Amino acid sequence: MAGKSGRTLSITQESSWKKAVFSWEGILILLFIAVNILCICISPNYNLKNVLREMPKYLTEVFLLLPMAYLLLLGEIDISVGASVCLSATMACMACNAGLPFPLVLLVGLAVGTLCGAVNGFILTRFTELPPMIVTLGTQIVFRGIAEITLGSGGSISLTNTKQFHAMAGKIGPVPYMFFVVILAAAIYMVVLGKTTFGRRVYAIGSNSLASYYAGIHVQKIRFFVFTLAGFMAGVSAIFLTSVLYGANTTTGNGFEMDAIAMAVFGGISTAGGKGKLLGAIISAFTIICLRIGLGQINMNPQVILVILGALLVLAVLLPNLAKKARSMGIMAKAA
Amino acid sequence: MSEKKSLWKIITGSREVSLLLVLIVLCAIVQILSPSFLTIKSIMDMLKNNSVIMIMSTGMLGVLLLGGIDISIASTLAFSGMTVGMLLKYDIIHNAFLLFLIAMAIGAACGCLIGLVISRGGVLPIIATMGFMYIYRGFAYLIGNSQWASAENLGDFKNFALNKTLGLGLLNNVIVIVLICYVIFFIVMKWTRLGRKVYAVGSNPEAAAVSGIHTANIKLIVYTIMGMLAGLGGALAVAVYSSAQPNMLYGREMDVIASCVIGGVSTTGGRGTVVGTLLGSLILAVIAKALPLVGIDALAQNTVKGVIILAVIILNVVTQRMMDRNNLKGREM
Repeated sequence: MAGKSGRTLSITQESSWKKAVFSWEGILILLFIAVNILCICISPNYNLKNVLREMPKYLTEVFLLLPMAYLLLLGEIDISVGASVCLSATMACMACNAGLPFPLVLLVGLAVGTLCGAVNGFILTRFTELPPMIVTLGTQIVFRGIAEITLGSGGSISLTNTKQFHAMAGKIGPVPYMFFVVILAAAIYMVVLGKTTFGRRVYAIGSNSLASYYAGIHVQKIRFFVFTLAGFMAGVSAIFLTSVLYGANTTTGNGFEMDAIAMAVFGGISTAGGKGKLLGAIISAFTIICLRIGLGQINMNPQVILVILGALLVLAVLLPNLAKKARSMGIMAKAA
Repeated sequence: MSEKKSLWKIITGSREVSLLLVLIVLCAIVQILSPSFLTIKSIMDMLKNNSVIMIMSTGMLGVLLLGGIDISIASTLAFSGMTVGMLLKYDIIHNAFLLFLIAMAIGAACGCLIGLVISRGGVLPIIATMGFMYIYRGFAYLIGNSQWASAENLGDFKNFALNKTLGLGLLNNVIVIVLICYVIFFIVMKWTRLGRKVYAVGSNPEAAAVSGIHTANIKLIVYTIMGMLAGLGGALAVAVYSSAQPNMLYGREMDVIASCVIGGVSTTGGRGTVVGTLLGSLILAVIAKALPLVGIDALAQNTVKGVIILAVIILNVVTQRMMDRNNLKGREM
């Protein structure tokens, strides 16, 4: 029963292997294996090659998951990242169609995303009373609105020159480049969160922002940085998404923010801040991706997949809570 | 001079008065730019088109007062709306009253389930409602088998939004329902035990629990009411827009939250009034109505709306800071 203060009242010291298996990450790994076995059973086409081929579409969301996990650990939330992806992808496509050299196109995409994040961060650190949910809700409408204005009445844009983006979507053997980038980014994010002072500060602010402020942590600077980082990763996601879709439209990135939040929460990160590990979030992301690919292969109605994902999300949080409640009632009964 | 100062104090001292001022100024600007705005017909149209958002704003007020949030309402609305649409399409039920009851019952059941998960399961509102947002939207597609009901399928039901029977020939049925909702909520929030308990739980849950309020039950009731209003909104939306589609009002839950927040409802709980919510949703409705009238390009409307929402909430914070400073100054003297 770890409280928000971090104090724990453990009764017996459990052995380490037991801890490893029964930790949330352990359960997630078991779930990941179970999902894969299920998919192999229901779909004859479910093999490594096909999964890797279909993965890029979903991997773009993992880029958003990484900074979202940081934000949730801070006790913040950013629902504008999907719109940032839309705006960055639109701008990158525009730049590419205008004949800009490829590195500059990438730069435009990243810069637009970073700017979106910085706007969020600026408003939220300047007016600290404002809840992040509401502000990013407003900026979400604005970002997508700007993309709508840019795209004009057609509402979509497609690349006239797909050569470089096509090269970006290339593969080493069966494994797409994007997979390596995701793994590299995930590794960097995990090391920064687990092994640096910055990471510890993120946890500290998430558990008690006022105490962290008195302890000399630049709370607002870190909040600004992480919001900007979320925007930057939205830019990265937009570029890779463009390399898969060869274009953008007004609905690009719709619902990405919710998927990223769902992956993080399913991975055991509390939206109240300060609790959770990035490893769990990444395992849960791949579990959800595999499930989606498997169910998609047997032509399951996408709406049914939505229902299953929603139910999984609720159950993932509900069941441990109920178990905890039952256990604490048991302890109380024993004490009485 | 002293009178002027007191007037200034009235304006900055009460959020409702300052909101009313914003609304009047907004209407005046729009009226100058486009004289066709302030006619009874155009205002009635505006209210009718925003009725669903306005009704759900009252429920959202309760949810936000508890410090919670509900982003599943648009999905609940689509689910109940699609049920109504399908019942009409396959000629099962034609009675408008019965259909409204069914829609509200479905909404209440959806809301009750969310309330149970949040109050008994201890799941954070944003997570629980996000999950149910997916689930109910999926149900909306499944119940119609991904089909939709068009105007000719709806028969007489769509006339509900055109008739004035409930308003005794003066007001449109839909507007009457909006008014009834606001009056009931105003009374409940101000003068009944339930309303005061909602405020108590929202401002300090521990203190409320210690003083004998069953906080879990209050949460359950509030989320159930929210669901019921979303269900009602579903039936209304089918009547007003004379079609039932599974992607009905996709993403519009954000408009509901925005109109509450513009109306001065705090998302951390405990602060906000029914009048503020009404003014907030009216401001949002006027903005949406005015943008095309003023001649802003249809493509730019979302951007302008977003900028105005941001501006209003930032303005809220600035006036709040000014109020606090003034109060401090008053104490010094």
